Amino acid sequence: MSTRYDAIIIGGGHNGLVAAAYLARAGRKVVVLERRERIGGAAWSEQVFPGYTFSVFSYVVSLLRPEIIQELELPRHGLQVLPLESTITPLPNGDYLGQWNDHDQNRREIARHSVRDAEAYDEFGRMLHLMARAVKPLLAMMPPDPVSWDPRELLGMAKLARHFRDLGPAQFHTLHKLLTMSSADFLDEWFEGDALKGTKSASGIIGTLHGPRSPGTAYVLLHHYMGELDGVFRAWGFARGGNGAVSAAIASAAQAFGAEIRTNAPVAQVLVRNGAAHGVVLDNGDEIAGRIVVSGADPRRTFLQLVDRRALPGDFVETIERFRFRGTSAKVNLALDALPDFTCLPGPGPHHRGAFSISPSVDYLERAYDQAKYGAFSSAPYMDIILPSALDPGMAPPGKHVMSIFAQYAPYHLEGGWTDARREAFGDTVIDTLAQYAPNMRNIVRHRQVVVPPDIERMVGISEGNIFHGELTLQQMFFLRPTPQWARYRTPIAGLWQCGSGTHPGGGVMGAPGYNAAHAMLRERAL
Amino acid sequence: MSRDTNAPIVVIGANVDALVAAHRLSMQGRSVVVVDQGFATDAEAGTTLAPAIVDALRLREHGLVTTAPDPWASVPLAEGGRLDLYRDMNRTVASIARLSPRDAKQWPVFCARVHAAAQILAQVYAAPPPDPMTNDRAALWRMARLALDVRRRGRQAVVDLLRFTPMPVADLLDDWFETPALKAALAASGVRDLAYGPRAGGTGFVMLHHHVGCAPGVFREVCSNAADVLRARPGIDLRTGARVAAIEVHAGRVAAVRLHDGETLPAAAVLSGLDVHTTLSRLVDTKWLDPELLRAVRHVRGRGVVARLSIGLDRAPGFAHLVGAGSMDDLQRSADDAKFGRVASHPWFEATHVESSGEHRLDVHVQHVPHTLRGAQWSGELAKMVEDAVRSRLEVAALGIGASIRAVAFASPVDLAERFGWHDGQSNDAELTLDQALWMRPVPTLAQYAAPIAGLYLCGPGMHPGRGGWAGWHAAGAVLTNPG
Repeated sequence: MSTRYDAIIIGGGHNGLVAAAYLARAGRKVVVLERRERIGGAAWSEQVFPGYTFSVFSYVVSLLRPEIIQELELPRHGLQVLPLESTITPLPNGDYLGQWNDHDQNRREIARHSVRDAEAYDEFGRMLHLMARAVKPLLAMMPPDPVSWDPRELLGMAKLARHFRDLGPAQFHTLHKLLTMSSADFLDEWFEGDALKGTKSASGIIGTLHGPRSPGTAYVLLHHYMGELDGVFRAWGFARGGNGAVSAAIASAAQAFGAEIRTNAPVAQVLVRNGAAHGVVLDNGDEIAGRIVVSGADPRRTFLQLVDRRALPGDFVETIERFRFRGTSAKVNLALDALPDFTCLPGPGPHHRGAFSISPSVDYLERAYDQAKYGAFSSAPYMDIILPSALDPGMAPPGKHVMSIFAQYAPYHLEGGWTDARREAFGDTVIDTLAQYAPNMRNIVRHRQVVVPPDIERMVGISEGNIFHGELTLQQMFFLRPTPQWARYRTPIAGLWQCGSGTHPGGGVMGAPGYNAAHAMLRERAL
Repeated sequence: MSRDTNAPIVVIGANVDALVAAHRLSMQGRSVVVVDQGFATDAEAGTTLAPAIVDALRLREHGLVTTAPDPWASVPLAEGGRLDLYRDMNRTVASIARLSPRDAKQWPVFCARVHAAAQILAQVYAAPPPDPMTNDRAALWRMARLALDVRRRGRQAVVDLLRFTPMPVADLLDDWFETPALKAALAASGVRDLAYGPRAGGTGFVMLHHHVGCAPGVFREVCSNAADVLRARPGIDLRTGARVAAIEVHAGRVAAVRLHDGETLPAAAVLSGLDVHTTLSRLVDTKWLDPELLRAVRHVRGRGVVARLSIGLDRAPGFAHLVGAGSMDDLQRSADDAKFGRVASHPWFEATHVESSGEHRLDVHVQHVPHTLRGAQWSGELAKMVEDAVRSRLEVAALGIGASIRAVAFASPVDLAERFGWHDGQSNDAELTLDQALWMRPVPTLAQYAAPIAGLYLCGPGMHPGRGGWAGWHAAGAVLTNPG
C-alpha cells in the first residue's frame, strides 16, 4: 500500500466520473477504479463491427444536468450534442404521427389527426414544463429524513413543504397527479388520439416492469420531460461519437482536475474496520487505502456484494434485498447497408435525423406488457429508434448506417431463462416488427448486436440489467431511494458513500446522483 | 326569493354516509329531511362503521349488530383442500404452517406491521382531509398536530406507510410470503372494486384502506345492519318513494330541492350522498359552476368492474367466505381482460355465506366485469358466461355445491348502477386510487365537502375517506362549522 487517497470511487460510470471530477476540482486526491478495460459504464461507444460505431447501451443525451455541462466545461472536453428534430410514430394503417421541434409544423401535424389534440398540445407542453420546473429543485435537494426528530431534518421537511406550497394549488395538485397516476390515465385527461397517447405514454414505461395503465408511470413520463439542452426543456440530442463521448468528456474533465482513473481494477471488497470504510481490496489482492470509499455501483451490488453484510444493520439489508430492479429494456444495434425506407414516409428525408417510436396506441404497449409480466418477451415490442449515422456520419462507413433500437419488454426474469437462441429470437422479433413499417429492414441488416438485461448485468454490472439501477417508482424515490434514512448518499458504514443511479434522483444519463453526492461529501467535510 | 332560514336541511340519498350526516346534524338540533332515492342499501352490508361513529350515534342501542365470518377467508388450493384464515391469530398461523412454515413465521410480524400502518390511515380518516395548500391558521395547526401524532407512532410505521401505499400489492406481498393462496386472499382486498390487477401501483394503499377498522390479522370487513339501523333510527324525517329531480339555486345559494312529483322542499342547506357527477352535472344547473370544475368532475375516474350473484342454497355451503382466486396471477389475468373492456374469461370472486331464518344464500362479488364494455352491450349471454364461470369454479372449490343450488340471480354492473345508484357501477364513486385520495378526493376544490355553491355539500362515498360513515360525518361537520 503506497498512496492514500482522499476518495476511492468504485465504478467508472458517468456518475462515478462526475463525482470524481467534482471532488478533484475541490482539490481532493481521487482515484476511480473501473472493473473493465474501459470507462463509461452504460454510456459507452464501441466499434462493435469494423467501421460501425454504436452507443451500445444508453443512446441519447438530454437529462444530463446543465450545471455539470457548464461547470466541468464538457464541450471543451469534446462533448458535442446534435439535436434530434422529430419523433415519427409509424401507424399500422400506413399513416404516421409526427412530432416536430418546429412549433407550427408540429401543430399542423397533430391537427391532421385531431384538432382537439392540437389545441391541447400547447397547454399540455406548458403544464409539463411547469411541472418539470417544480420538480427540478428537488433533483438537487438532499432528501430530508421524514421520520427523524433532528432539527435539521425537520427544517428540511419544512423547506420541502414550503417548496410545495409555493407552487400554488393548481400546480401542486397536478404534481400530485403526476406522482400517483398512470401515464395512460393522465394522458386521457388531455388527448384523444391513440398514436399520440401511445407515444407519450411510452416515456412512462421506460425501464420499469409496468404497463402504461399502471399508477405510478406518469412520474416516469415527467422524469423524461426533465431533459434540458441549452436551456430548452424537453430537448433530446445525440452526442457526436455516441454516448461514450459523454463519459469520455467527463473523464477528461476529471483528469484535468487531477483525478486518477484506473481501468482493469475490479474491486473485490470494501475494507471496513470498526464500522468505518478505510479502503478497498482488488480482485488481485491489492489493497488501496482511502479516507472514504464512494460506490457508483447499484445498491444491491454495493451492499450485498462489495460489503460484508455483517457490517450492516439487519433491517437495512432487508430493505436492500427488497429494492426492485427487474430490468426490462433491451438494445438492438444494427449495421445497415442503407437507410430504412418507411412506408409512411418513403425515401430519405429529415425524419431520418429524428427518432422513430413504435407505439401506435396505449393498448399496443399494454399488450406488450401483458406478455412480459408473465415472463415472456413482447411479441410486438415498444421501440424507440434513432439513426446515429444520419446525424454523425462518422458512426458508419460512407453510405452505410447504424441504427439504435431501444426495445421493451424483454424481462430479465424470462420464463425458462435467456439463452443465445432466445436472444436472437428477440432480435428477430424486433426486426420483424419494424419491417411491418419499413419493409426493406429485412434486406439491409448487415450485422446486428442484441443486448438483453442479463447482458447489461454481465457487461455493465448493473443488477438485473435495470437501466436506472433500480425501478423508478414512487416507493423507490426521493427519501426512499435506496432506503429510508440512507437516501442522502451516506450509508450505515462510516466513510462509505453512494453516488450511483440507485440514489436520488435516479437514472438516465443525468449525472445528478454523482453531482449531489460529491457536494454532500464536500459540504459535510467527509474528506 | 329570500332564504328560508327555518327550512330544514335536506339530505339526498339514504346510503350509510348520507344517513350518518343526517343523524349527526339532527343530533345537533337541526331539522333534517332525508329524501330516499329508492336505491337499495344491502350492498353496504360489508361497511364497517368506525367505532367513534357507532358510539356517537348510539347505534348499538338502536340495534346495530355485526357478523364476522370466521374463517374470514378460505382459499381453495390448486393441490386440493383449502387455506383457512381465521380471526384467531394462532389458528391462522397453524393453518398457514401446513403450507409454508416460513410464511407462518412471517404472518404475525406482517400483521403487526400492516396494522400499525393502517392505524395511521385510521387516524387520518377520522378527520376531514388535510389541505396542504390552506392558509387557514387553524387548519395548518391541525395538520401540524396530525403530523406530530403520526410521527409519534414510530419510525417503522411511518416508513411502512410511505412505502406500502404506492406499491403494487403484489410486490408488497412478494416481499413477505411465498404461498400463492395466502397472497391471493390479501391481494384481492388490494384490487377490490378497482379496474386494476395486483401488479398495479397504489394497490398497496387499497389493501391498507380496507384493513382500517379490522383487527390485526383480518383483511375483510365485518358485515352489519348499519344501513337498516340508520334508516330506522329516530331523529330524521325520511321520505321514501321520492326522488330528487333538481337542486334549485337562487342567487348563488341553494334554496330548495325539487322532487320528481313536482313537490319542492325548501332547504337551508343540501347534502348530497349521491355521486359527484350526478350531483353537480345533473341535479344542479351547471351555469352555477366553473367549467374547470365541471371538467375536473368529468375526469373523476369511477370505472365499475363488479357484478353480483345471489345464489340460493338448500344447505350450508361448508365455508363462511370463499375467495375464488388461487393466486395473484389469477387476479391479474382477470384484470387483464377488463383493461381492454372485456369481461374476464375467468373472473375472480368472493362468496359470502349468509343465513337468514334458516335460508342459506351466497352473496357473490364478481370482478373484473366491466360496466362499460368495448364494442358490446350487456346481454343475457354475457351474464350466463359470468355465471357459468363462477359456478364451475365454485364446484371445484366446494365439491357438490352445484347440487344444492336452488336459484341464481345475476346482477350486471349496469344492473348494480341502477339498483344502488352507483355512477358507472362503481360503488366508491371515485375509485380508491392515490390520485383520488385525501385532498384530491374526488377533486381538490370539493375535498372539504362544500361545493362552490353556498349551502351545497357532498357527503357520498366519493368524498374522503370513502364509503363507511366518516365521509358523511365530516360533511355534516362542514355544515356545522360553516357560517350561515
